Amino acid sequence: MRTTIRLVAGSLSLMTGFAAGASAGPLDVPGATKALACSACHGPGGQSPSSTIPIIAGLAPWYFKKAVEDYATGRRPSPEMEPYAKYVREAGVDDVAAYFAAQSRQPTAVAVDAAAAARGRVASQQCVVCHGESGRGDPARSIPDLSGQAPGYLRNQMLLFKADRRSPGDQAVKTVKELMKSVPDDTIADLAAYYSSLR
Amino acid sequence: MTRLTRREFLRTSGRSAGLGLLAAAGVAGCAPALKGDFAPKTGRRVVVIGGGWGGATAAKYVRLGDPSIEVVLLEPNRRFVSCPFSNLVLSGVRSIDSLTFGYGGLRGHGVRILHASASAVEPDARRVRVGEGYLQYDRLIVSPGVEFQWEQVDGLAAARDRVLHAWKAGPQTVDLARQLEAMPDGGVFVLTVPPVAYRCPPGPYERACQVAFYLKTKKPRSKLLVLDANANVVSKAGLFRAAWKDYPNLEYRASNKVVKVDPSTREVTTELGDRVKYDVVNLIPPQRAGTIAVQADLVGADKRWCEVNHLTYESAKHANVHVVGDSTIGLPVPKSGNIANAMGKICAVAVVHLLNGKEPPPMAPGNTCYSWVNDREAIAVVNAYKVEGGKVVQIEQKLTPGQSAEWAQNAVGWATGIWQDILG
Ligand SMILES: Cc1cc2nc3c(=O)[nH]c(=O)nc-3n(C[C@H](O)[C@H](O)[C@H](O)COP(=O)(O)OP(=O)(O)OC[C@H]3O[C@@H](n4cnc5c(N)ncnc54)[C@H](O)[C@@H]3O)c2cc1C
Ligand code: HEC
Ligand code: HEC
Repeated sequence: MRTTIRLVAGSLSLMTGFAAGASAGPLDVPGATKALACSACHGPGGQSPSSTIPIIAGLAPWYFKKAVEDYATGRRPSPEMEPYAKYVREAGVDDVAAYFAAQSRQPTAVAVDAAAAARGRVASQQCVVCHGESGRGDPARSIPDLSGQAPGYLRNQMLLFKADRRSPGDQAVKTVKELMKSVPDDTIADLAAYYSSLR
Repeated sequence: MTRLTRREFLRTSGRSAGLGLLAAAGVAGCAPALKGDFAPKTGRRVVVIGGGWGGATAAKYVRLGDPSIEVVLLEPNRRFVSCPFSNLVLSGVRSIDSLTFGYGGLRGHGVRILHASASAVEPDARRVRVGEGYLQYDRLIVSPGVEFQWEQVDGLAAARDRVLHAWKAGPQTVDLARQLEAMPDGGVFVLTVPPVAYRCPPGPYERACQVAFYLKTKKPRSKLLVLDANANVVSKAGLFRAAWKDYPNLEYRASNKVVKVDPSTREVTTELGDRVKYDVVNLIPPQRAGTIAVQADLVGADKRWCEVNHLTYESAKHANVHVVGDSTIGLPVPKSGNIANAMGKICAVAVVHLLNGKEPPPMAPGNTCYSWVNDREAIAVVNAYKVEGGKVVQIEQKLTPGQSAEWAQNAVGWATGIWQDILG
């Protein structure tokens, strides 16, 4: 009784970047060993290969630390990230932030519909004032980099802003939330496609 | 195991260097050529037994941690088939192909893979027996998963070809899906859950959801009967019970340990003496550590599982031998692929430190177990840990507040990320 199992012919989205052999980098800096738990979801070195889990390679430390604090306190509700954020606090957030900041960030390998990205480009005019033409944001004003981020993640976050489920009561994101309320869900998907396609 | 063809044998034996032989034998499989010290050690070497979730991860990360260490991975299977997501093959939501991967990525990291089984370990001589030969190691990492305790269920050993477990993803998964598909509408599918500890605590209940979902949509007059040896749903009980409200075709009986199976009458018998008829049975047998761990005297007094140091995963019984994955016991963690992956990484870093005369840093694992409750929604349990006083302790366990498509999407994200982490 032998059933032959053929070599991967699986869905493309599952296989993106698989053969790339991304390196987790040297393991003897303090942050590297503390960050080992993260690659299960965020991929080796934080270079997430999937659509819904964000790329955290290359995240600016200020933004990384804010995110960890927001997850740990439940301001950003996430059943996955709340326990891991508490773990990061225990392990030492500065080391982990420094490790991910030092990882080179590659744009997502998840392909998006070109027509959706083109529509998103048009709609992005309302975002430029904060996120900039390149989508790279502005650390001086605490505005994160959206370029090349995983599309499913970008979309989910915009929907969370729209429903006021991310950081309720946070003055820093009041304006962006007001704005999201006026953006139809379809356009949100287009915007996610556009920003994820930026290189 | 395949035999070396004459041509392959000539090619392999033509190489003088042992490693060339090893590499070629890896292509050709376990072979009579494996005699004596068939690949003499030239530098520092780590041998890994088992290329599943724990072992493949460990092999890769030893190479990432110190490329000057030679890593030899022993694994009889040529393809890695993921247990996580394999319950979706039963409902037809996913194909087995989409869960099947090659070992090319590991070779890219310089891991030498020999597709053969380890037959014994000699801890004093630091040797692993393979075929008629042996491999020498400086440190050994053992991750053989689980073995079934066939003898615990009367009649099971003799009926292994018909009474399927599908608890090691692969041919049995596909065969069980076929049995389910071939079952007449109106039939009874019996799923039995073994007593703890077993591989993947939520796994049987996720499987119940997938089978019930399939029956509900494809064979509406059929029924799923879950006979659980445990007193309650072992993991995510509230979430599973809520999900089962959508499945009136699912009957769950707690404290119903199955002790006998008779394929000729299509009947299982519980400890209480109840006899239950089935059209298709999926009997998940009681489990213990993989056979090699038992043979190598790595299991504790329970004769089932291996106790390890929480920081290095070194065996409590033998020096220079580390155990990771489902075979271990004593940490407050589930037997999950996520944990096996975490242990593989931590153990690799520890082994690299030890081989370089450095003290390993304390590192804690993390765990997330997603379970699909239908074709588009999932639930999850997440555990965070820290190291305290040399032991792993839990910081927090968190459940999803309900089931949703969002977590199913994150489950896909997790699988994509972790497969890459293990094999990419
Ligand atoms: C249906 C199902 C669903 C699951 N779902 C999830 C999930 O969603 N999430 C999750 O985290 N976990 C899940 N799991 C659990 C997960 O699959 C296991 O916890 C994980 O595979 C354990 O890893 P391991 O390395 O210990 O064993 P395995 O992955 O089983 O690897 C053991 C390997 O060792 C090899 N081996 C054994 N003996 C020898 C020998 N003598 N010589 C050489 N090689 C040998 C075997 O061939 C095998 O490849 C699921 C399990 C099942 C059955
Ligand atoms: C079980 C999967 C999983 C694991 C493991 C995991 N994460 Fe996450 N992470 C997620 C998900 C899902 C999100 C998006 C959550 C949301 O909806 O906001 C996320 C988001 C994040 C973000 C926010 C990114 C941004 O652009 O705002 C950071 C930072 C982060 N994770 C860091 C970590 C670190 C550090 C670790 C390891 C200690 C880790 N994660 C482990 C699943 C995981
Ligand atoms: C008024 C300034 C402002 C405008 C306009 C704005 N944003 Fe933002 N955006 C922010 C800030 C600030 C954050 C960071 C929130 C935080 O720190 O939690 C953010 C975060 C985000 C995030 C989450 C990024 C991550 O990694 O988690 C997304 C996605 C996003 N913005 C998309 C958009 C889009 C699309 C538009 C246009 C429709 C837009 N924003 C317009 C200020 C703005």
